[in-house]
Amino acid sequence: MLELRLVQGSLLKKVMEALKDLVNDANFDCSATGFSLQAMDSSHVALVALLLRSEGFEHYRCDRNLSMGMNLGNMSKMLKCAGNDDIITIKADDGSDTVTFMFESPTQDKIADFEMKLMDIDSEHLGIPEAEYHAIVRMPSAEFARICKDLSSIGDTVVISVTKEGVKFSTRGDIGTANIVCRQNTTVDKPEEATIIEMNEPVSLTFALRYMNSFTKATPLSNTVTISLSSELPVVVEYKIAEMGYVRFYLAPKIEEDEDETK
Amino acid sequence: MGIKGLTKLLADNAPKAMKEQKFESYFGRKIAIDASMSIYQFLIVVGRSGTEMLTNEAGEVTSHLQGMFSRTIRLLEAGIKPVYVFDGKPPQLKSQELAKRYSKRADATEDLAQAMETGNKEDIEKFSKRTVKVTKQHNEDCKRLLKLMGVPVIEAPSEAEAQCAALCKSGKVYAVASEDMDSLTFGAPRFLRHLMDPSSRKVPVMEFEVAKILEELNLSTDQFIDLCILSGCDYCDSIRGIGGQTALKLIRQHGSIENILENINKERYQIPDNWPYEEARQLFKVPEVYADDNQLEIKWTAPDDEGLIAFLVNENGFNSDRVTKAIEKIKAAKNKSSQGRLESFFKPVASPTVPIKRKVCFH
Repeated sequence: MLELRLVQGSLLKKVMEALKDLVNDANFDCSATGFSLQAMDSSHVALVALLLRSEGFEHYRCDRNLSMGMNLGNMSKMLKCAGNDDIITIKADDGSDTVTFMFESPTQDKIADFEMKLMDIDSEHLGIPEAEYHAIVRMPSAEFARICKDLSSIGDTVVISVTKEGVKFSTRGDIGTANIVCRQNTTVDKPEEATIIEMNEPVSLTFALRYMNSFTKATPLSNTVTISLSSELPVVVEYKIAEMGYVRFYLAPKIEEDEDETK
Repeated sequence: MGIKGLTKLLADNAPKAMKEQKFESYFGRKIAIDASMSIYQFLIVVGRSGTEMLTNEAGEVTSHLQGMFSRTIRLLEAGIKPVYVFDGKPPQLKSQELAKRYSKRADATEDLAQAMETGNKEDIEKFSKRTVKVTKQHNEDCKRLLKLMGVPVIEAPSEAEAQCAALCKSGKVYAVASEDMDSLTFGAPRFLRHLMDPSSRKVPVMEFEVAKILEELNLSTDQFIDLCILSGCDYCDSIRGIGGQTALKLIRQHGSIENILENINKERYQIPDNWPYEEARQLFKVPEVYADDNQLEIKWTAPDDEGLIAFLVNENGFNSDRVTKAIEKIKAAKNKSSQGRLESFFKPVASPTVPIKRKVCFH
């Protein structure tokens, strides 16, 4: 038996919008800790990890650890039918092959039940080790989204370099090159507008912009984004969800191989 | 060719061991490809109408070059790193099978002549496909082409499938691509079918994992090899009246060919005289392959522009513009193969949860 009641239903709608283009099918895991998901895109380059902690739900009942395989496109279709102020409840019975999304209007005068078929999804769960990152950049999420969008009109890849000067995003394409440098800036009116750079070691990595742009679909979830970089690891792009948890995107870097030397 | 009926046997008895994958999902992967099998397919399919095939000015067939060139570029553009493995000397045991194929081709040649007389177009096409043989020249042409493209080529000491499987076992490549199911019998841990199919056919790649096959069939490696021999392989006859399904039942019941031979009704099943099943088994278990790193140089290099134009355009009548564009594609593709995969950083772990939906068992 599973019953999760989320007063801030729009949050779930935003989460789906952030994930559905990256991942088609995924298993949602439910435990006493919370409602979570880990899934890779079909080419195994990017991974998304979602956590909505149980404390963030108004009512959270999950008798045993369960996973539910869902098609995210279909789930998003159903959640789009919920109003932005609606309270959303996720329900499933043991052994059932369906999940129910219940939408209640704030005034309780309209209640909608959407039942969706579950799927058997054979997915690999990857172990993500806790790591010390060489550099961590926190910046306004809208700013990061803008940079990714702008750069992708010039090139396909972005080089993200963190030095003492700040964080530099650069690209190169057929028509020319682009470099955007963001410096540390903490003298702002609102804390979410700050750009904070913690650097232990300078780092420079190359990524496919296509994926970065897909990650920025999560921008409505949070005013700030945290980008963690290490030279031997995939980048982590994290959007914190207030009082609930996070959406974290991991992206494998592009690597120039030395065996590809020219004749 | 390969193991008789193995695909169906696995689909029926080990469905979880095979899964459909998108062609694109293999980017960044090194894949060993059975070259002779691919060349054979190209000769059958590429640019054929009736008995007419693509040729150069001298009238020599170029279908294999066209096929090898365009399919390899398709692989490279998807970020896949192909290694082509060519057949060496066939094992002695295969001579019977090869003789059979030879006589089939001879029959087809006669049939073709007849069909040409009557002018039946369908028959002409059908029989002319059956007369196709991959010659030494075809192989040499393709090797030359691949080297010019910067794609590594390995000449196996004997069977190409066996060498492919060895490369995969030692982790030098991620998977083996062939249409010949005996790659699995040779123990290729991961085997792909339809990777080399034309994109127009829109067939997903079928991936087989040997470990899962053994688990699902509940057999050991040796028992699986015995199952393949009983089902019918290239190296020896099978027992009349025993197909894949019966073979599986017998192996499960008795455990090995020796025990089966002791226990089955010899009146009902005729065991071939001097049945060389032990030699066939040995061929599958310890095939003749190179294992030394020095003999297996696997390196992808930049394409040789001038060499490709000289070979394809000047010698074989390819369109110069198309070849130039294709070379650009090869160069652009190099960039793509640099994308890393998450599995190189994070390792799989067991999922902490169980599915809410109860798995239904039909057994």
